[in-house]
Amino acid sequence: MVPCSIHDTVRRHAFLLVRHPAFLGAVIGILAALSQSLLISAGGPEAYGFCVACHTRDLVNGVTNILAGSSLALAPISKNAVLPVMSVVGVLIGAYVSARVNREHAVKKGSFRDYLLYFLGGFLVLILAMVFGGCPYRAALRTGYGDIIALLFIVAMALGVVAGTVFMLKRAEREEA
Amino acid sequence: MATGVLPMEIAVYAVPAVTLLLGILIGYLAQRSGFCSIGGFRDYFLFRHTRILSGYLALIVFAFLGYLLFWILTPAAMEHFFWALTSGPFIPVPGAPAGLGPAAYILLAVIPGFLVGFICVLLGGCPIRQAVMTSEGNIRAAFFLLGMAVASPVFAAFVSGWIVLLMKSLGLGA
Repeated sequence: MVPCSIHDTVRRHAFLLVRHPAFLGAVIGILAALSQSLLISAGGPEAYGFCVACHTRDLVNGVTNILAGSSLALAPISKNAVLPVMSVVGVLIGAYVSARVNREHAVKKGSFRDYLLYFLGGFLVLILAMVFGGCPYRAALRTGYGDIIALLFIVAMALGVVAGTVFMLKRAEREEA
Repeated sequence: MATGVLPMEIAVYAVPAVTLLLGILIGYLAQRSGFCSIGGFRDYFLFRHTRILSGYLALIVFAFLGYLLFWILTPAAMEHFFWALTSGPFIPVPGAPAGLGPAAYILLAVIPGFLVGFICVLLGGCPIRQAVMTSEGNIRAAFFLLGMAVASPVFAAFVSGWIVLLMKSLGLGA
């Protein structure tokens, strides 16, 4: 389709931009910095603007603390605020709205074995991410903030992905043979 | 103690609101773009595709540029930018188990990093991709999130203490 006006050209480019992962990478990077600039008075840590693992930990432990009166550990920013960080709830809502609006919502079920494996996977990934102090996203933010330990995490993660991919290829070959 | 633009009394109310709005925007764009940190490395290794990987690389670069920009605008909120210069090269930003030495932090970054990459590539995505797939109606991904939620109190109550004890018993304390 040849765009026939400046308006069309702008719209088409905006559409392509929104669908490009690099655009979202830039958005997360800038907004995480903005968020720290606005909110850091409520408490640390630094380079904490967006993280799926830590923010899940804060949400679950923070809400449990409020409801059950427990004192599970969470980041100071979530401890001091009236409610813990809500980014993960936001991601779920945003992705749900997008999937509905763009007609990409479809219920996909799995076997009981799948559910068990994914549950175990999620359990282990949260523990491992928290041992390091962040998921892949906070690792990227921390690297941008000048944390060399986080850069080591990213390099190790890339190697883990390569090892996992090779493992899957080998397994697929065995099943074919 | 770092000071942000909003005073403490307002920031404590703004934390859930601002992070919720940020999350909604990120979730919307992540569903549109298929953004995934693990998927980027996987596609590059398998097919030399760079589209998804460009998202994660852009995140690292723009995180640096964003922090640099707001360090210039609001230096009090970015107290320890550029971290390694203010704290020493192998000390992580707070958030990891505290009170350990550099060797422990290197171990605790490299081993979990490798395992997170390995596990996530087998399950088809990093945590954000799992959240997006859950919203798209994928029940398996919902069990991944459930696993993360159940692990949260377990980590806080047990594992973080064990890790510090283990590292100290290996002689890697601060």
